[in-house]
Amino acid sequence: MQVDIRPSDDNVRTAALAELEALFGDRFTASGVVREQHGKDESYHTPVAPDAVVFAETTEEISQAVKICAHHGFPVIPFGAGTSLEGHVAALRGGVSINVTRMNQVLEVNPEDLDVTVQAGVTRKQLNEYLRDTGLFFPIDPGADASIGGMTATRASGTNAVRYGTMRENVMSMTVVTADGSVVRTGKRARKSAAGYDLTRMFVGSEGTLGVITEITLKVHGIPEAITAAVCQFPSLEAAVDTTIMTIQAGIPVARMELLDEVQMGACIAFSELEGYQPIPTLFFEFHGTEASAKEQAEMVEAIAGDNGGTAFQWASEAEDRSTLWQARHDAYYAALALKPGSKGWATDVCVPLSRLAECISETKKDIVESGLLAPMVGHVGDGNFHLVYVLDPSDEATIQRASDHSDRMVMRALAMDGTCTGEHGVGYGKMGFLEAEHGDALSLMRSIKMALDPDNIMNPGKIVSV
Amino acid sequence: MQARETSTDETAVTRVVDAIRGILGERLSISAAVRDQHGHDESYHETLPPDAVAFVETTEEVSEIVILCAAEKIPVIPFGTGTSLEGHVGAVHGGICIDLTRMNQVLEVNVEDLDCRVQAGVTRKQLNEYLRDTGLFFPIDPGADASIGGMSATRASGTNAVRYGTMRDNVLSLTAVMADGRIIRTARRAKKSAAGYDLTRLLVGSEGTLGVITEIALRLYGVPESVSAAVCAFPSLDDAVNTAIMTIQSGVPIARVELLEETIMAATISKEGLEGYEPKNTLFFEFHGTEAGTREQAETVQGIAGELGGTEFKWASQLEERNKLWQARHNSHYVIQGLRPGGRVMATDVCVPISRLAECILESMRDLKESNLVGGIVGHVGDGNFHLGYCLDPNDPDEIQRAHDHNDRMVLRALALDGTCTGEHGVGRGKIHFMEAEHGGALDLMRAIKTALDPDNIMNPGKILPG
Repeated sequence: MQVDIRPSDDNVRTAALAELEALFGDRFTASGVVREQHGKDESYHTPVAPDAVVFAETTEEISQAVKICAHHGFPVIPFGAGTSLEGHVAALRGGVSINVTRMNQVLEVNPEDLDVTVQAGVTRKQLNEYLRDTGLFFPIDPGADASIGGMTATRASGTNAVRYGTMRENVMSMTVVTADGSVVRTGKRARKSAAGYDLTRMFVGSEGTLGVITEITLKVHGIPEAITAAVCQFPSLEAAVDTTIMTIQAGIPVARMELLDEVQMGACIAFSELEGYQPIPTLFFEFHGTEASAKEQAEMVEAIAGDNGGTAFQWASEAEDRSTLWQARHDAYYAALALKPGSKGWATDVCVPLSRLAECISETKKDIVESGLLAPMVGHVGDGNFHLVYVLDPSDEATIQRASDHSDRMVMRALAMDGTCTGEHGVGYGKMGFLEAEHGDALSLMRSIKMALDPDNIMNPGKIVSV
Repeated sequence: MQARETSTDETAVTRVVDAIRGILGERLSISAAVRDQHGHDESYHETLPPDAVAFVETTEEVSEIVILCAAEKIPVIPFGTGTSLEGHVGAVHGGICIDLTRMNQVLEVNVEDLDCRVQAGVTRKQLNEYLRDTGLFFPIDPGADASIGGMSATRASGTNAVRYGTMRDNVLSLTAVMADGRIIRTARRAKKSAAGYDLTRLLVGSEGTLGVITEIALRLYGVPESVSAAVCAFPSLDDAVNTAIMTIQSGVPIARVELLEETIMAATISKEGLEGYEPKNTLFFEFHGTEAGTREQAETVQGIAGELGGTEFKWASQLEERNKLWQARHNSHYVIQGLRPGGRVMATDVCVPISRLAECILESMRDLKESNLVGGIVGHVGDGNFHLGYCLDPNDPDEIQRAHDHNDRMVLRALALDGTCTGEHGVGRGKIHFMEAEHGGALDLMRAIKTALDPDNIMNPGKILPG
């Protein structure tokens, strides 16, 4: 991929950094190590270090920092846990990285209203730890222990979006520092509103290109009375996907339904030492509800799976067994890399209508074989969303190029099926090249919005839309 | 309220009308009766007729008309069923009304994907009629048989939003004609996407001020195996609201939980001839699920209600009884109208965090008495959303003013409780003067978006954003 990297102007940089250093004192750093760490995420994309990093502690401070940057026309890149997957944090035009991890307070929990307000640097695991005694939990789980600010900015979802939705559905409102340094709140704490444009949804998924998210009010949910998990193995991918479609159609409120293809299942069996499983297409299920309803859901899904040639369910009803199972699922990436020691992973995702999922997966897998690639697959199949990890030798440029070409074909295939170039990883700079094909004229609308809200293009420039 | 400003250049209007007639022939009307009918909705707001009404049949026709209007800077006002409630369709600055009711085709139903695509003029009842044999249904039910285009444009919700969400959650993508005549599609048919700004949610609730919505892709749901409804009366409003809070907290996936404040319940009993009910604060419940699931849900809720002094559930398990019950609930407008002879209804709604709901309702009722006004409250209590209908003497300007003053106080009360000036009716003209108080600095962002996408302010001008 061609990466358009342009450093910041020397005079602008010198002037802006001097003011930022005066504002943040020893929470300002231009050290090479820290800068490099803030220019890369967990993706395969070329990292680009910012000119400096500031460790912000308040919304007000971020407002002042953005005002300085706006005055000088100096880029601002928000940084949370650094777990993004499409080069979202790379400082393509230089600038300052605003690290929000010190803003890690849970500000408010309203059990009656099932909502919480947190600072952007709170991570999802930290939030759930905090909520433990309240009987509430925050369900969105992208795998990594991402910050809530970052999850909001990238419209994250994950394994239980099929039941609880994505960040789009679970963010109620937020506090944002906009491109001119103003502090705005996008909504009130009411569950719904018809009062004007949906600014909350405008910022969810905006990847720092419209403003810096500093506080977020989230929906939380009551911890279900009963949670059970089960594993079912299938003779073919089609059988597994058909099981998924029929489960969704039957309206069974399954909490998680994860597909692992035979390559990934083999990798997980080896890496996580799972016993009693075959390296064949597999679904991991989780059921939430009352004792009776979780049981009823499981029985219905087991019957559907049985009709499709699935094995009897292997149960994981104890919390410990469930943790083992989901840890294995979350470690899928590392399991994939372990297939070829010394390799690096390149993760990508697409999402298609459920009815096209089997077709999209089977064509993609055929293409993997024909391209001579190793690329295990996992999928949030209830949403029509799946991931590939290309397992690559970093010194083998020919293979890397073949993976890149394969990824391009997979995205175009998903778009042809009325799907999207990314279900949950986001655009960053890795998927920007596909937005024209995906959105057509609507992309110019996104550009108009970007230019209206950030006329000098200082907010995470070079991501989502080019200006 | 703001009266029509005849700022429009009459000769420009004539040129545009002639040009549109060239495209539509007799489907363009300038008759006074048609114009009047298109200048008002179901609200108390004054009729403001457009200069002409265009009965369009295709998205391309809408685009051609918008291009003509844009060239002469003539306003464009979309019109569906005219069931809006805050003066959304009044031609504040004259202009061309685009009537979409002839665009009433269901274009696509994808049973496996649980989605469909319809033209904007399809009404919700028409859609559900069409879906009857598929085992699917579209749940959003604002009471009126509104068009899907209008429901999208106003971010409608209604009685079962507590389970199925609002139009925000159920619109997958939109086709819209923007202010320069460009036709865009906001998203693909994938259930989720992280590919750029959420244009779908930007247009949902934009009330025609950013573009004309011409086609909508919607989520659908499987018709539940079992549906049952029950009624429960409570000693106090607090008890009723707390029952709803505890129901939601305990994770019961209740499909509807509607509050009838005691005044309304009393009037409903006599007007609708309901037998065996008491004139007390009352909740109407509906449960969707499997046979066992709905039974369990109902038992859980009955247990909660019982502890809070609620009566035994009065069941309506047969379709006919359920229809009678929900018809009685939907007829609350007429029930309020019947509170005094010759009365006219002025309807309003607010939405607050559910923990503040009882407080907000009780203070609003006390204020109603102190203001010597007649009216009643019904609420989508699971969302914290309630409606107040004032029953007014249309010949008593003092009383009408007192109602407006009461409404102002109620909205400010809701805002002080971290709520919103409208949960589902929208802004239109009627709530425009609260936008500053509700949104503060965020209103500037809405203005910036409006200016970027509609620089000449021709799309339904005078709505949402105060001048």
